Parts: sequence; structure tokens; C-alpha cells
Amino acid sequence: MKALAKKNLADALALLAGQATVWVPAKVAGVTRFAPWSPAVTLDLEATPPAVSPKEILLPETESLYRYSAYGMDVTFEAVEQEVPPTIIWGIHSCDVQAILCQDDVFLSREPQDAAYAKRRAATTLVALACTTPGPDCFCTSMGLEPAEHASTDVQLHILTDGYGVEARTARGEEIVARLAEKGLLVETIEPPAKAQACTRAVNPEGIDKKLVEMFEHPYWDELAATCLNCGACTFLCPTCHCFDLTDHRRNAHEGTKIRCWDACMFTEYTVMAGGHNPRPGKKERVRQRFMHKLRYFPERYGKWQCTGCGRCVARCPVHIEITDVIKEVGEVTLDG
Amino acid sequence: MKELHNVNVAMRTLARELLESGTVAGVYGWKKGSRPTLTSPLYIQDAAKADRLAYDQYAVSNLSALLLDHRNNDKKRAIFVKGCDSRGVVRLLQDQQITPEQVLVIGLPCPGMVDEAGSLLTKCAECRFPNPVMADQVLGGVEVSKQPSAPTGVTAEAARKVGVGSRAGERMAQVAQLEGKTAAEKEAYWAEQHDKCIRCYACRNVCPACNCRDCIFDTEKKGWVSKAATSSANAFFAITRAMHVAGRCVDCGECERVCPMDIPIMTVNRKLQQDIEALFGPYDAGVDETVVPPLGRYQTDDPEEFL
Ligand code: SF4
Ligand code: SF4
Ligand code: SF4
Ligand code: SF4
Ligand code: SF4
Repeated sequence: MKALAKKNLADALALLAGQATVWVPAKVAGVTRFAPWSPAVTLDLEATPPAVSPKEILLPETESLYRYSAYGMDVTFEAVEQEVPPTIIWGIHSCDVQAILCQDDVFLSREPQDAAYAKRRAATTLVALACTTPGPDCFCTSMGLEPAEHASTDVQLHILTDGYGVEARTARGEEIVARLAEKGLLVETIEPPAKAQACTRAVNPEGIDKKLVEMFEHPYWDELAATCLNCGACTFLCPTCHCFDLTDHRRNAHEGTKIRCWDACMFTEYTVMAGGHNPRPGKKERVRQRFMHKLRYFPERYGKWQCTGCGRCVARCPVHIEITDVIKEVGEVTLDG
Repeated sequence: MKELHNVNVAMRTLARELLESGTVAGVYGWKKGSRPTLTSPLYIQDAAKADRLAYDQYAVSNLSALLLDHRNNDKKRAIFVKGCDSRGVVRLLQDQQITPEQVLVIGLPCPGMVDEAGSLLTKCAECRFPNPVMADQVLGGVEVSKQPSAPTGVTAEAARKVGVGSRAGERMAQVAQLEGKTAAEKEAYWAEQHDKCIRCYACRNVCPACNCRDCIFDTEKKGWVSKAATSSANAFFAITRAMHVAGRCVDCGECERVCPMDIPIMTVNRKLQQDIEALFGPYDAGVDETVVPPLGRYQTDDPEEFL
């Protein structure tokens, strides 16, 4: 296997950054998140996982879609063309690679595809980093993942004593590896990569997608939802949550820009319709929707869990509503009749 | 925690009695979470579940804002409170979000709350009101007090040992540190912090002082504020939130604890407290229900000449 020594990491990133925006896990104002690499960036490759997922790279919190103006009968629309540079996400973990597959399902697998997402995704190369020391809330193995590697990344980095084993998995990955090799940044090694330690948390989701079909009216949701704050911490931190709102940056009554920004099923006004009716009027309906979506609707539609076991929602829910508990408790509750 | 063993037993017995007798329709307390170092909010309506209640030095959550879920409901709910939590209940009563008939407040002795690593929370080191400021009933021998005071009840000694209130005099240290910076440095500091905000509104939703029925950040159609999570919109949110709770913030620290982006929200709250005290004299929000908050009262000698 080829290897990149730790001492060559900065050179490797600098080389790649010459031709692409290279997002790396970094400490930014005290929080570990992905940031475009520059020599000034404080790398943090140890966070398992980074507090903020790389979701925002492919699905920005806010983006402009088109400009409009409407004066009387004169109506114009003009698309806001996004500049999308070649992009590399370096140091992404298995959980977040899997999350991108979920996002691909949502935005690309059916017509019409989401043009803005498709453009960014097509420009993106994933360089996954093996995750050998799980964080306190990780449970990706329970959701069927392998923390040490992911089959769908372009390049997989393995952990070696003093560097990274480098393995290309796609043609795009080959290109990156070739560029690093060309500059003499890679060496051959026979060192076996570090094995991943077991995930901290473990649950067994087997069969709960089927069981949830029978649980829409189950009293379980009442108790679970009673302490929820209906905030957006869980969904906004989640790498697979993808709901958005279309709204305006209004310049005046006639002109403005249509923007898309993250939205969340946990917010009260998310489902409010014109006329004021809210089909999900209470916490129960909203909390149920979140878990039903991840553990039942998504598997029904796309054949995979919409939870990768990254543990971010578990770590940061203000009231400790934990999806691991939900998976366990849904497995345990009795169904009537 | 051994000092709290009997308190836990008493909490469960009391909750069971209150639910069985129909005195209350529900009880807010805590339960043990998925790790021994987590104690999370719990709401029970069924007496059979009273045994799930648990209280210890990890029961950091302030449950008072959850009472807002029942503001349109006549039934009574019981709520267990630490000192800081009780100020949240006073906030709701004073703001007329709930009536005294809707809530039964049960005061608990506070051992001082610790994080998962076992270190005392900053808010507890700086705590001035470790005893409930109001309660209909108390457990564990805690004394109700509307004055800044030392911890009382069965955990008084434990609280003293871990240092509850030991840094009460340094509450404004972080404010002072920032005030020492130049305007440009302050601007850069807050821009960096506000850039992080993901507009999840956890800080707002956990807060007993953020009790507007229609929050301006939920009424986007009126065009006051953009839903976009841009630096300027985030700063607008942060400043608006702070100003809306100015003089009413009960200093419980929950907004900062729940912020997933670790934004130092309490620094702003404390700065506003400091300014209000400088302008209107000493005031502790959520302590005495009969004392109207400084920004909510009219005085002929108001320091603002415009009035
Ligand atoms: S639901 Fe929670 S654990 Fe699952 S992927 Fe989302 S944030 Fe991670
Ligand atoms: S589950 Fe937790 S993080 Fe999610 S909305 Fe409810 S309180 Fe917020
Ligand atoms: S702030 Fe005071 S009352 Fe509140 S948890 Fe800390 S020590 Fe207890
Ligand atoms: S602003 Fe923060 S500290 Fe003040 S009452 Fe609200 S949650 Fe508590
Ligand atoms: S909790 Fe933090 S991230 Fe969320 S809206 Fe408040 S300040 Fe922003």
C-alpha cells in the first residue's frame, strides 16, 4: 500500500489546494468543522466525528437560487449561477460518506434532480479517513457501517503509526493519488493499517422499520416528545437531514432573490400551510416524523437507514433525546392487539 | 450521590401521590440517561412511572420553559426545581405565561451541577441563589430564600465542598475581559462567534424568558428578519434575543449550555445585567415576583431623558 507520511501532509494538502478547494476538519472559533484548507487553518483530524458534519459543503445553509423582479406585468427571472470549483473533502469519516449517499438518494436518484446539488456533487472528490478511536456517542457499526473504511469513497486513508495508508477506490481517486505520487509525497509500506476499536454505543435496529409501520398512533411518541424543545439542533447537526425552505431576500416589494436555506421538521412552523392549518400541530407529531423518516420512510424509499450512527444529535440534544434509545425502545414496546 | 438518596425516594413518593390523587396532571423531573453521567428531563403523567424519577449532580437541565407547553391548559403540573430553575418559574409567573394555579413547585437542595468529566459548572461556581426562591413544597430540608445565600439542606456540605457560589464575585470576569478589547477586536470576536450560529433556536426554546407566543423569528412572512443563516442575520438574531430577555433573563445559563456551536451567550446576558444594574440599581430577575423588571416599569426619574 502507498503511504503518506504525517510530515508530508501539509505539502499534500497544499498541492491539492492548488487546483481545488480542499475542505479539511479544522478548529474554527472553538468548534471542529470542515473549512477550506490554507496554511493558516488549524487541522483537527482527531475529532471523531467533527462537531459539524461536511453537509454544508454540498447543501449550504443558505444559497441564492434566482433573482426576480415584478413591476406590473414586467416579470423577470434570472438564475444565480453558482461558481463551483473542483472540491475535495479530505478527512471525512465513514458516517459522513454514508450520509452523502443518503443525500444523493434524495437529490439525485429521481427526476427531477436538484441542479445545484448535482453540480456541487459532480465536482466533489471524497478522501475518507479511517476512524479508529470512536467518540463517546458513535454507533455507526450498529447502522451497518465500517468505521475503518467506506466502499463508496474516492480515496480511503488508513491510519499508520506515522502517517496514512492511501488507497484509491475510483478513477477520480486514482488521479489524486497519482498527483501526490508524482510529487514524491508517497512511499510504499507494508505496515498493516490500524484496526478500528468497537463503537462506544451499540443498538440493534433490525426489523424496526417494519415495526414502525404499526406504530403511528402508539403512545410511545407522547412520552418521548414531552421534553423535546422543538429546536433544530438534532436536524441541523445531522449529516443526513436535508429539509430546506424556499424564501426571499426581498429588496423591496417588487424585487428580490429567492434563497434556499435549511429547515427542520422539528420547527413548529415547518408544516404550517397557507391558511394556517398545521398538519403536525404538536411535539408528538414532529418528533414522530423525525424518527419515522430516518428509520422507516427512508428505508422504505431508498433501502437504507437515514441515520449513519454519527452520534451528533445524541451528543447535542439539549434534553438528551437519543436516537439510540429510540431504536432500542421501539424494538421493545408492545403493539396493541 | 448518597446525600440525595432519601430525596430521590421522597421525589418518587410525592410524584406518585400527586398523580394518583389527581392533584396534578403531570410531573416534570429528571431520569437517569444512557450514561451514569447523564441525567435528563422527564415528564410523567402516569403514577406507575414515578420510579423513573432521579435527581443528582448531573440534573443540569432547567425544566421551567417546558411549562409553556401547558399555558393554555387549566390543569396543574408539578415541577421539581433547583435554585436557578425556580427563578425560571418566577419568570413565567411574573410574565403571566402561567398562573399559580397551573403549577406546583417542589424545591430541591442543589449539590452543584457538574459536567460529564465531574467538574463543577461555571454557573454553579458563580451561583448566588442555590436555594429555591419560591416553592410550594420542599424536599431534603432545603430552605426557600429570596436573598443570595449559601446552599442549605442535605447537600449543603457537598455543595460547599465543590465550590458552589465560590466565584460569585467574579461573575462579570468574562465581560470585563471583553471590555478590555478595542471596538475592532470586539467586532471581530463576535463576528466569528455569530458566523458559527446555525439558527437552531435551541437557546431560545430552552429559555424561560423567551416566552413570546409568536417569536419574531418564527413570523418570517412579516419580513422583519431573514431566515438565511448569514453573518448579519445571525448577529441580528443574537442581538434581538439578548435585548428581548434584557432585565428578565434569570441567569440560568441554559442558553449557553445547549448551544451546539458553543457560542458564549452568557457573556452578552451578563453584560446586559451589568448595564441594567448600572442604570437602574441592583436587580435580580426572577427572584421576587412582586418587583417589576427595570425595563418593564415606569419611573418619573428614569435615567433615559427621552421618557
Ligand atoms: S440521526 Fe443523529 S446519529 Fe443519526 S446520522 Fe443524524 S445526527 Fe447522526
Ligand atoms: S430532539 Fe432534542 S435536539 Fe431535537 S428538537 Fe428535540 S430537543 Fe431539540
Ligand atoms: S446555578 Fe446554583 S442552583 Fe443552579 S444548578 Fe448551579 S448551584 Fe444549583
Ligand atoms: S437568556 Fe439564557 S440564562 Fe437567561 S433565562 Fe434565558 S436561558 Fe436562562
Ligand atoms: S443555540 Fe447557538 S447555534 Fe443555535 S440558534 Fe442559539 S446561538 Fe445559534
